Amino acid sequence: MQQKMKKVKITIQEDGEPKEIEIEVPDTGEGGWGDLSKNTYINRPHVRVDAVDKVTGRAKYTADIKLPGLLYGRILRSAHPRARINRIDATAAMALPGVKAVVLPGDDPAVFSRECRFAGQEIAAVAATTPEVAEDALHAIDVDYEVLPFVVDEDAARDPAAAQVHGDRGNVGEPRVGEQGDIAAGFAAADVTLEASYRCQVQSHIALETHGNVCQWEGDKLTVWASTQGVFSVRGELAGHFGIPETNVRVITEFMGGGFGAKFGARKEGVICALLARKAGAPVKLMLTRKEEHLATGNRPSAVQHVKLGATSDGKLVAYERSNYGTPGVAGSANIPGAPYLYEVPNYRIEQTSVFTNAGPMAAQRAPGHPQAAFAMESMMDEMAEALGMDPIDIRQMNDPNEARRNMVAMGAEHIGWKTRRSAMPNAGTGRIKTGMGVGSCRWGGGGGRTQAECTINPDGSVQVKCGTQDIGTGTLTLVHMVAAEEFGLKIEDIDVRIGDTNYPYSGGSGGSTTAASVSPAIKGTTMLAKLELFKKIAPRFGVEPGELVASDGNVFVGSDPSKSMTWQQATAQLGDEPIFFHGQWLPGYSDSGVPGVHFVEVSVDTETGLVKVDRVVAVHNSGMILNPLTWASQVNGGVLMGIGYGMYENRIMDPATGYMVNANLEDYKVMGSTDIPEIEILRYDEPERGVIGIGEPATIPTPASIANAIYNACGARIREMPFTPDKVLSALAAVKEG
Amino acid sequence: MADRKQKAAPEEPKAAQGNGGTRFTRRGFLKGAGAGAVTAAVAPAMLVSGARTASAQEAEGVMAGTVTLDVNGQTHNVEVEARTTLADALRDRLEITGPKVVCDRGECGACTVVMDGKLVFSCMTLAMDAQGRKIETVEGLADGDNLHPLQEAFIEKDALMCGFCTPGFLMSSKELLDANNNPTPEEVREGLSGNICRCGTYPHVFEAVMSAAEKMRKGG
Amino acid sequence: MRNFSYVNATSIEQVPSLLGRSWDDAVVMAGGTDLVGEMKDYAAVPKRVVNLKSIEGLDYIRQDDAGLRIGALTTLTDVLENSAVSQELPVLHQAVSVIASPQIRNMATLAGNILQRPRCWYYRSEDFPCLKKGGARCYAVGGVNTYHAIFGSGPSYIVHPSDAAPALMALGATVHVHGPRGGDEVLMDDFFTMPEMNIRRENILRPNEIVTEISIPKPEANSKGMYLKVRERESIDFALVSLAAQMTVVNGTCERASLVLGGVAPIPWRAVEAEDYLRGRRITEARAESAAEAAVEDAAPMPHNGYKVEIAKNLVKQAVRALAS
Repeated sequence: MQQKMKKVKITIQEDGEPKEIEIEVPDTGEGGWGDLSKNTYINRPHVRVDAVDKVTGRAKYTADIKLPGLLYGRILRSAHPRARINRIDATAAMALPGVKAVVLPGDDPAVFSRECRFAGQEIAAVAATTPEVAEDALHAIDVDYEVLPFVVDEDAARDPAAAQVHGDRGNVGEPRVGEQGDIAAGFAAADVTLEASYRCQVQSHIALETHGNVCQWEGDKLTVWASTQGVFSVRGELAGHFGIPETNVRVITEFMGGGFGAKFGARKEGVICALLARKAGAPVKLMLTRKEEHLATGNRPSAVQHVKLGATSDGKLVAYERSNYGTPGVAGSANIPGAPYLYEVPNYRIEQTSVFTNAGPMAAQRAPGHPQAAFAMESMMDEMAEALGMDPIDIRQMNDPNEARRNMVAMGAEHIGWKTRRSAMPNAGTGRIKTGMGVGSCRWGGGGGRTQAECTINPDGSVQVKCGTQDIGTGTLTLVHMVAAEEFGLKIEDIDVRIGDTNYPYSGGSGGSTTAASVSPAIKGTTMLAKLELFKKIAPRFGVEPGELVASDGNVFVGSDPSKSMTWQQATAQLGDEPIFFHGQWLPGYSDSGVPGVHFVEVSVDTETGLVKVDRVVAVHNSGMILNPLTWASQVNGGVLMGIGYGMYENRIMDPATGYMVNANLEDYKVMGSTDIPEIEILRYDEPERGVIGIGEPATIPTPASIANAIYNACGARIREMPFTPDKVLSALAAVKEG
Repeated sequence: MADRKQKAAPEEPKAAQGNGGTRFTRRGFLKGAGAGAVTAAVAPAMLVSGARTASAQEAEGVMAGTVTLDVNGQTHNVEVEARTTLADALRDRLEITGPKVVCDRGECGACTVVMDGKLVFSCMTLAMDAQGRKIETVEGLADGDNLHPLQEAFIEKDALMCGFCTPGFLMSSKELLDANNNPTPEEVREGLSGNICRCGTYPHVFEAVMSAAEKMRKGG
Repeated sequence: MRNFSYVNATSIEQVPSLLGRSWDDAVVMAGGTDLVGEMKDYAAVPKRVVNLKSIEGLDYIRQDDAGLRIGALTTLTDVLENSAVSQELPVLHQAVSVIASPQIRNMATLAGNILQRPRCWYYRSEDFPCLKKGGARCYAVGGVNTYHAIFGSGPSYIVHPSDAAPALMALGATVHVHGPRGGDEVLMDDFFTMPEMNIRRENILRPNEIVTEISIPKPEANSKGMYLKVRERESIDFALVSLAAQMTVVNGTCERASLVLGGVAPIPWRAVEAEDYLRGRRITEARAESAAEAAVEDAAPMPHNGYKVEIAKNLVKQAVRALAS
C-alpha cells in the first residue's frame, strides 16, 4: 500500500533564469487524478462556492467598489476616425464644480497620442465627484481637430490608393505563408475542384461588466480593483508604466463580470484611471460605457477567405489553397490557423494578411481565428460532399486524422438521428418553413502551466490555499476548493481558498482555455506535497512510512489497516504550534492539451421572411478528465450560444462614409436573448487518462459552420457570409430560385 | 392655477398607498430634503429658491435635490440630479449594487428592479420618479439567511457564471413566478426576454426557473 | 445626458403652459423608455422635462358601445392584459405582445409607443448631426441603410418603429390631443407626417401639445385581425417589417381590408393599393399574391434594404390568406 513515487521535471526560476529540475512526487496514475469512482469531489458535479454571493447581490465586482472620497473617471475619445489634434482646451471642464482632475495628451504621451487613428481613441480624461459631472466635463472639453482621410472597410483599405492608417507603411501587413507538398500537382490529381469565398464579420466581446478599474494611491503604492482576466498582467503593466516596483502594486479581482479574451493587462483605461487618481489625490473608479466597450476594447477580427479545394472522386482531399485577409482595426493580427483546418490535405498553400483600418483594435476573442477557419472549411467540406454525391459525414470521416473526433462525429450523428431525421436532399419538404440539419467540427489546444500556489495546514486543522488566479465566471474558485478538499479528505467548506489578488502566488491569465489545466495541477501538486509534509510528521506515530497514510473523510489512517486512524484535527494537532507551509507549482501529468469538438444543429428556415431559427444543438465535447461536470456544462452552453450569436446576429457595422461604428450599443448590436435559445444537448466524450483540458474555447468554434450547413440542408441556399440574417438568406434563396 | 394647486396639495406628502398616492410631488421633495441625513450642500446645482412662489417653482421644476427611496423596506434619502437614474442612485449613492448597469439603454435587463410590484429597468427610470415607490432589488429577495427558492434553484442548476446578469434574471424570474407559478417553458423564455446573459447560462436559467416553480407550487 | 429641470404636471390643462414653443425648451415624459435613451444619446437635450405620470386619471381602458378608449398613461402591459383588447382587438393585442420586453411594457405607455422617435442609428448616435436633429443630411443616404425606409422619398429615411401604431391605424383609431386651445381629435391616418412635411418630427403634435387618449372604434362584425412582426432577434427587437391587418370577409369575399405596414416608412404605412385591390374581391391564392404585389408596388428600396420588400410582400400574402380562411 506504499504510495508509489515518481520523478517529474519542473521548471523553476533561479536568479531570474528558468532552470529545469527533477523532483519526486506521488505517482497518482495515468491522467493524474486517481480512481475517479472513489472521489468525493473531482469529476462530480458541484455547485459554485461563490454562488450565494452572486444570487444575493452581495458579490462586489469592480464596478461595485466604493471607497471614501471616490471620484468617477471618464475618457474623452476621438470624434473622428482619423485626425490630428491641433489644440485641446479643458479650461471650461476644469472650472466645473466637482471636477477634480483632467489629464490631457501632454500629461502622458505614452497613453495619449495627438494622432487619432480611430473614432474612439483615447485623447483625454476627467475625474469628478459624480458620474454626471464627469460626463458634463467631457462635453466641456474643446478639441480642435485637423480631420484627415480614413478607411474603415478592409476591402477598400487593400487598395494602395486608400487612405493610410499608419503613415506610409501600407495598410496590408506582411503575408504569412504556410505550405506543404505541391499544390499544382495536387490540383492536377483532383477529380473535383471547388472554389468559393467566405466572409466572417467583426464580433464584439460584450462582457457584461465593461472594462474598468478602481485605482487608489498611497504614496507610491497603488492598489487596483480590476475587471481583468489576469491580475498579474495588470500589475506588471502598471508597475512598468509608473516606474515603480511590482511589489508596490496590488491588483484585486474578487468578482469579475466576463472577459472572453479582451481583458488582459492594465490597458489604456487602466493606466488612465491610475493617472487620474494620482493627479486628483483620491481614488478613482473608471468603468467604460457600453459604447466605449464596442469602440475601443477589442474585437474578433473579420476574415475574408478565398478557398480552393481539390478532391478525388472517392472523397480524398488532395489539394487546398487559401488566401485570406481580415482587419484587426488599427493594430494586431487578423490571422487564422495557418494549415487546412481539421483535415489532412497533402498539398496546400495558405497566404494570409492583416489589413489595417481606422477602427478599434482587435483583441483575442474566445478561440481566436478558429470560428472563422471552421466556417470556411466546414462549409467547403459540405460543398465538396455535395459535388461528389457523398454524405457530409462520410467525407469528414475519410479525411479526419483525429480518431477521437471521428468517434465524436459518429456519436453525435447517432444521437441527433443524422441518417433518419436529416433530409437527404436540400430544400426538401413543402410549406414556407423548411428544416435541415448540419454538422461542424473544431479543434483547440489549451494546456496548462505557469501557476504557483501556497498551502498552509494549521495545527487546528484549518487549511488555507492561496493562488493568484482569478475566477472570471468559469468556476475556477470552485475548482480550487474541490481539488484541495479531495486531497485532504475534507469538505469543501473546510478549505479557506484565496484567489484574485497579486498578493498570492503567481498564476497566468485566464484565457485560451488554459485556466483549469493550469490551476488544478498546481493546486493538486501543492496540496499533495503539503499533505506529504504532514504525513511525515504523523507517520512515526503509526510506525509506518508517510506514503502509507491516507487522508479521507476527515480522517488520517494507514491505507493497509484503516483501524490505525486518527481524525484530521488529531493529526494536525501533532504539528505543535508550527503550521505546514508549502509553496508549490504546476506539475506535469495532470493535464493535457489538444481537443476535438463537434456540433450538430437543426434549424428552421422561413423561406418567406428569411428568418432562421436554430432549434436544437447537439454538442459533443472532450475535456479529458472533467473536474466539475456542472460548471463544465455551463461552459459548453455558453460556447455554443456565443457561436450562434456570431453566426446569426452579431456584427460590428462600420459606416464607410463617416468611419463610425453605427451599432455601438446592445440594440443594433444583437446579442441573443432567452427567446432565441435552442435546445442544447451536451454529449461527453471522456478521456480521463489525459487529465484536465479546458473547454471555454472549443465549444464556441463549430457553431456558425454547422448552422450554415443546416441552412443549406433545409432550403438549398448556401450562405457564405456571416451573420445569417434575413437579407442574406432571402438573396441566397432568390439565387436558388433563379438557378 | 397656482391657487388651485396649493389647495390641492396636502400638508403631508401622500403616504405610499394606491396608485398615484406616491407620486413625486414638489412638497414631498422638500420634505425629503428636510428630513434627510444627507446634507443639501452636496448638490451644487440645487436650484431651490425660497424667494420664488410655489407655482413658479413648479413651472421651473427642479434640477437637483433629495429624494426618499424605499428600497427593500428601508427608506434612504439621497441627493440626486434630475437626470440621475434610479440605477445610478442605487449603485453610486446607496451602494445597493445588485442591479448592474450593462447597456444603460433598457436593452439588457441587468439593472432590473421591481417598482410598486412591476418589473422595470432602473437605468431608464429617473431617481426622482422613484420617490416614495416601493423598490425591490435582488438584495431583498432572500428572507434573512433563507434564500428564495429561485436563488436556491439558480445555485443548484448552475444558472449563473460570471454572475453579472444574475440579479436581473432573478428579479425577472421572481415576477414571472409571482404572476404564474406554473409556467410553460415558452412562458419562461418570454418572461425573461428582457434580460441578456453573455456567458450563455440561459439553458440552466430555464431549468432553474422551472425547478423553483415546482418547489413553490409545493409550498417550498 | 444633460441635466434638465423636472416638473411634475398635475393636470392635463396645466401641461401646455409647462411646455414651450420649441422642442428644445421642454418635452413631456411618461414611461420614459424612449426619452431617457434619447437624452442619454444627446438626441434630445431639453431644458425641461414635464412628467405626465403625476397626472391622475389618465391610465384607463374603458369600453362602451362605440368601442374602446385608452388613456394616454395606460401602460403596454395594461393593454396587453386587458380582456376586451385580447378578445376583440387581436391585432392590437398581438402587436403589443411583441413590443420589446416585459420591463419596457411595464414602463412604456400606449401613447408613448406611437410617439416614439426613430430608432435610426444615425439619429440615435451623438456622432451624427442628422436632418432629424437639425443637421444637413440624412446619413442613411450613402451610409448603411439595412434597417431604413423602403417607402417615401426622403429627405429622411427613418422608419417608424412603433408596433402599436400600425395596429391602431389598421383599427381606424383616433388620437385625442390637448393643446393651449383645448382638446382635438385626429384620426391615426392623419396623425403621422412624412419628412417632407416636417423633417424634425413624425406627427402633427406641436411642442406644447400632448396626447391624452386613443380611442378605437368597435370593429365590424365579421372582421378579423392579426399582427405579424419579423425581427432578426426574437428577444427585444424592433421590426424589420411588420404588418397590422384587419379584414372583413363575408362568404370568402373581402368587404374591407385595412393593411398597415410597420418598419418600412417614416410613418406607419397603409398599403392602400392592396386594400383597394382586395375590396369586393373573392380571396383566392392568386389574389392574395396580387394584393401582396400591389402592397409593394411603390417600394423604392435603398442599396441595403431590398430584402424588406420581399418580407413586406410575403407578410401581406400570409395575412390575407389567414384572415380569409
